[in-house]
Amino acid sequence: MRIRVLLEFAKILMLSRLRSTRQSFLSNSITNRPILIALIGSIMFAAGVGFGTATVSFLRGAGASPADIGQIVETIFGGIPIFLIGFFFTMGLLWELNASSESESADSINWLPISPSEYVFASTLSTSYTYSPLVLVTVGYSLPIGILTGNTSAFLVLVVASVVAAFIGSVTVEILRSLLARASTSFNKVGGRSMIILRILGVILILLFTQTLFSGFLIIRIINSVSSANATTVLVPLLWPTLSITSILRSNLLSSAYFLLLSLGFLAVLAFAALAFRSKFWVATPQSFHFSNTGTISRVSRLRRIGVSAISLALVRREIRSATRRKEVVRLMAIPIILPVMISFPAIFSPAPTTSAASGLISPLFLAVPLLFGVGLGTLFLGMTSIGQEGKRLWNLSSLPIEAGTVVTSKVLFTSLISTIGLVLGLGLTVFFFQVSVMDALTFIAVGITLVLAEASLGVAIGSRYPDFSDGPRPRFVTIIGSIIGAFLGVIVMLLMSLPLVFLLLGRIFLLLPFSLQLSFFLGGMVGLIFARISYSLSIRSVNGILRELPN
Amino acid sequence: MDSPSPAIEAEHLSKFYGQVLGLNDLSLTVTKGEVRGLLGQNGSGKSTLLKSLLGLIHPSSGWVRVLGVDVQKAPMEVRRFVGYVPESPRLYEFLTATEYLDFIADVRGLGYEEKKERITRLIESLDLEGKQGETITGYSQGMKQKVAIMGAILHHPKILLMDEPLNGLDPKSARVVKELIHSLARDGVTTVFSTHVLEIAEAICDRLTILQNGRVLAEGTAQELREKAGLSNSGLEDVFLKLTGTKGVEDIVEALRR
Repeated sequence: MRIRVLLEFAKILMLSRLRSTRQSFLSNSITNRPILIALIGSIMFAAGVGFGTATVSFLRGAGASPADIGQIVETIFGGIPIFLIGFFFTMGLLWELNASSESESADSINWLPISPSEYVFASTLSTSYTYSPLVLVTVGYSLPIGILTGNTSAFLVLVVASVVAAFIGSVTVEILRSLLARASTSFNKVGGRSMIILRILGVILILLFTQTLFSGFLIIRIINSVSSANATTVLVPLLWPTLSITSILRSNLLSSAYFLLLSLGFLAVLAFAALAFRSKFWVATPQSFHFSNTGTISRVSRLRRIGVSAISLALVRREIRSATRRKEVVRLMAIPIILPVMISFPAIFSPAPTTSAASGLISPLFLAVPLLFGVGLGTLFLGMTSIGQEGKRLWNLSSLPIEAGTVVTSKVLFTSLISTIGLVLGLGLTVFFFQVSVMDALTFIAVGITLVLAEASLGVAIGSRYPDFSDGPRPRFVTIIGSIIGAFLGVIVMLLMSLPLVFLLLGRIFLLLPFSLQLSFFLGGMVGLIFARISYSLSIRSVNGILRELPN
Repeated sequence: MDSPSPAIEAEHLSKFYGQVLGLNDLSLTVTKGEVRGLLGQNGSGKSTLLKSLLGLIHPSSGWVRVLGVDVQKAPMEVRRFVGYVPESPRLYEFLTATEYLDFIADVRGLGYEEKKERITRLIESLDLEGKQGETITGYSQGMKQKVAIMGAILHHPKILLMDEPLNGLDPKSARVVKELIHSLARDGVTTVFSTHVLEIAEAICDRLTILQNGRVLAEGTAQELREKAGLSNSGLEDVFLKLTGTKGVEDIVEALRR
């Protein structure tokens, strides 16, 4: 293994992660000087030190007992390695899911004399370095806590355990990457559609895993399990870095050293496995799905009878195929489905709702509002990426006689279709947990659909105004500025849609006016439709411009 | 005698990409049924010109009319009767060849029977049988090129604009495409295509236009260009190199060899 090649290649991989778009505001700074990541890490380290100091001051000021502080230190220190493993694994895997198959096939790695070991270690190093500021901020946060609470030695173990944890997360991605390549080949032999379904399910599971991990709930459960000396935790290698810290916090130096060594050994085993899998399973050529020997020519759709044009149908059919077959698009499809479900978790599992809901003034339907918020955000996100997804394939649309209005309609329709799945799932949860009436359920669906239309249209308007057509290894589809403006406007639209509800509630509380949830939702829906119409018109103007001037 | 009616007219076309001039006051007329070859070094403006003819880019100044229709004013109308093959076409890789052509046919307004017959015949003619049910991701460059060509001629276009159409094609398919261009010309289809392969240009084009720095450097039949260069008995390559002022090829080769 040539160390110089390894380092140089790690730098290239990291730059390709960062330089995903030409429009990125990072392009002129970080991406030209990777050392700036270390600088950012240093700043975050300093910020972490500040927060850590503030945490200790707060705990002491609040009169926490040494036993309480000890418990909190154990939770924080023990939680960091688990969090880092999950974070590095998830970020690495999301990168892998986002990667464009075409870019991968053209990747110089496939034809340059770079050995599997150089690739695996360079890729691991690049993932670790790219996200290293997170390690630094957690270490910075722990430093004052360790020193001020008399746990300096535990802090030193934490530093080593954190670095090991980051590498464990990164190298695990390498194993999965090779396995996924192998699985793609195998499933492709079985049949293309099976692979498509597995890929979608995989993305949904990964996103659910991420959400669960970052909810904090899982980490606290694990730490409690470790704290209560549950013997089975010793058998889980992913918990060894955490056990090395909890052991030293309990003054068991030997046990701490033992788990730290085990952690390093586990990392070595993973690295060896990653190397073996890469050598054996890596497939350079992107997978092509094989559906039938002749291909299918579509017949005249029944939707034509209700006035849907052949062009619109062709465009929507193409969108659906893109959504289920393009690796970098599949993850986008999962978001409007997952987001509302995850956002509604706190409302569902909150102990308060059902009793207060029975008070009469507050309908159980109120509890579904966070879910609508999730649907709205998911729809907006999907809409914003819909235009940029065309990438360098845009000429296909530009050279055909397709009006801008038809393109916009198909994008809005498709985005709404996917988001409505999330909406219906949310409704299912709402009905199941809150036993809402049929009338309330219908109201919920009606306002949900207007929200979906408003956010989808706004998303397409932003996506067409700020498209990112660059087909890099990690396509973004909308510029960073566009996504910031879009997110801001998306929230504003949702707030404006909820204004009638707020006004009617205030009228009920202060003026004792009659309150109707249905009426407030109806008015909110009207506001949504107005925004949908405005956004639709703006989208047509932008798409017209795009179709008339192919990006150079 | 009346001159043949023009299929494509471009007048004083200029196109700026920021500070870079892609087309520089370029004028061009192509008559109906003519096969016109565009020659020029890399960056001479061939692709930009082809895109301008279809309204894929908006010229900074000048105008283009295709079959009498102003491209800037009515791009949709022009796109209805034009077929286009870009340089290195990026297709919808997540579709199979049949699905891609089916999509094009639907947008072009072909009925079920017509599109089925056309797609089947085109796939047979360009040797894609057995591969048409596979997503384009796994296709070679040449196969992708074939699909792009099929997409361009699926709707019986009156004008065909092709940017390096023979790139990556195997000899048999290249021959089929060359014959196809001839055959379409006999049916009155006007073809404008760019190429770097001068033998092909000479073999299938009625007239040639050499571009340099976004301008028309020379125009005429192969023989007219030879006379213009003062190289009556030379190959088109020598003519091209002389007209474009390319010198010192031997020195470059020597530098590369070392």
